[in-house]
Amino acid sequence: MRRPFLILGLVLALGLVALWLTGEFAVVQTWLLDQQRNVQNRLAGAVRALRGGQPGALLALLAVCFGYGVLHAAGPGHGKLLIGGYGVAQRVRLAPLAGIALLASLAQAAVAIALVGAGVLALGWTRERLVDVSEQVMAPVGTAAIALVGLWLMVRGIRAMRAAGQGAGHDHHHDHVHDDSCGHAHGPTLSDMDNVTSWRDAAFLIGGIALRPCTGALFLLILCFGLGIGAAGVAGTFAMGLGTACVTVAVAALAVWAREGAFASLPGAGLGSRMAAAIPVVQVLAGGGIAAIAGLLLTQTL
Amino acid sequence: MIRHVALTAGLWIGLASGALAHPHIFIDTGVEVIFDDQARVTGLRITWAYDDLFSLMLVEDRGLDPDFDGVLTPEETTAIKGFDMHWEPGYAGDTYALLGEVPLVLSGPAGWTTGYADGRLTSTHLRQFADPVVLAGQPLVVQVYDPSFYTAYRIAQQTLLTGADGCTAQAFEPDREAADAILQAAIDEQAGSTDIEGEFPAIGAAYSEEVRVTCAARS
Repeated sequence: MRRPFLILGLVLALGLVALWLTGEFAVVQTWLLDQQRNVQNRLAGAVRALRGGQPGALLALLAVCFGYGVLHAAGPGHGKLLIGGYGVAQRVRLAPLAGIALLASLAQAAVAIALVGAGVLALGWTRERLVDVSEQVMAPVGTAAIALVGLWLMVRGIRAMRAAGQGAGHDHHHDHVHDDSCGHAHGPTLSDMDNVTSWRDAAFLIGGIALRPCTGALFLLILCFGLGIGAAGVAGTFAMGLGTACVTVAVAALAVWAREGAFASLPGAGLGSRMAAAIPVVQVLAGGGIAAIAGLLLTQTL
Repeated sequence: MIRHVALTAGLWIGLASGALAHPHIFIDTGVEVIFDDQARVTGLRITWAYDDLFSLMLVEDRGLDPDFDGVLTPEETTAIKGFDMHWEPGYAGDTYALLGEVPLVLSGPAGWTTGYADGRLTSTHLRQFADPVVLAGQPLVVQVYDPSFYTAYRIAQQTLLTGADGCTAQAFEPDREAADAILQAAIDEQAGSTDIEGEFPAIGAAYSEEVRVTCAARS
């Protein structure tokens, strides 16, 4: 009963990737662009209403900001690459991964606030200067962190393969994917997943996402501080972060669902040992994909 | 096979970081094609109408419109004039002209104007051709796009043909099917080459909005 459900997740994820690769998403992209234009204009209207002291304006601003976050996260982006890739590569449970996705989005909002606070209020930077620092300095650092996560996943996968090749079948390294099963004869099972990723992993995942502030949030903050409604700008930035989190949490869910679907679709006999063989391969492939994309983005920005 | 997959993935990633990235400035564009008395095209006047948020930010950046009524005084209008016309070296102005498929060289911006109404900033500028262009059986193609897609352009105004006789203009939205076909052709072409580190083909233009101007043959 559980297996068909898991395999459905794999089919769904592969279907989405195939649609994107074949360009069938063009209609969605056009629609998305129109919506992004609309929400941007509405954001200006909401700021004007708030500045004009209209009743209910703050709630309206928060709602628009939330929508802005959802719409800007809906396109391809670094957060989805990292959370999705990690979710496929590492046999992590959904709850911690979703928690990391949520924390990362809120941290991204906090970084934007700190950057505007330090840059504009303390150092007197112009808007252009601030956006430059964000895109030329902070974004590449974040992308490098993402590339490191990819490389690290590859190293883990290769280590696990080597360990398996030496006939042990188990890797006793502390961060190995199936710690729980070490010492058991049957290897990992479908229900056997990592409960908590290491703090180091979580820090890199959150850092990789948060260090690249959303330009829209910077725009909103600079505008609101300039107009003397800074607190509303800070609240709006966190509302944007929650909107973004909706999308990355959904990506986390799809990644976990698809990954478990892939394992569930392995032939039934000897499932444990087949999974033990498949997990490092998936890890190397997904890690390599993350590292390659992040590396390419890095060469384009530097 | 592996190389093909890698290249396909690479090209899509290139696109993902460019054409599919999300824009932060939205501009409604208008194109005016200016003809001389010999039916040759001498230049283009480009209109840019900025989105509400970016307009608000630009005005606020400069401390203008402090009473927030959406109207600038004549002094304020003077202060903001030409705000978007001081281009960095190497910036192509996000306007590209071709005669058929041959790219034409455009001058830097000149004769610019700036306006502010209903909370929206609008500017126009003139781009001239080094030599007047004769549209002999070939269309003049004007494309508007930002290769980095930081700014999203759309042609939102009727194209003006000033001083033209027997010419028509038609605006095209990006034909994504055709653009995807160009992308596929580029992938196939690169798949045959050994230069795996080669440059990504310049396919961004295929995803742009464009105006095509055609003139009846002169007798």
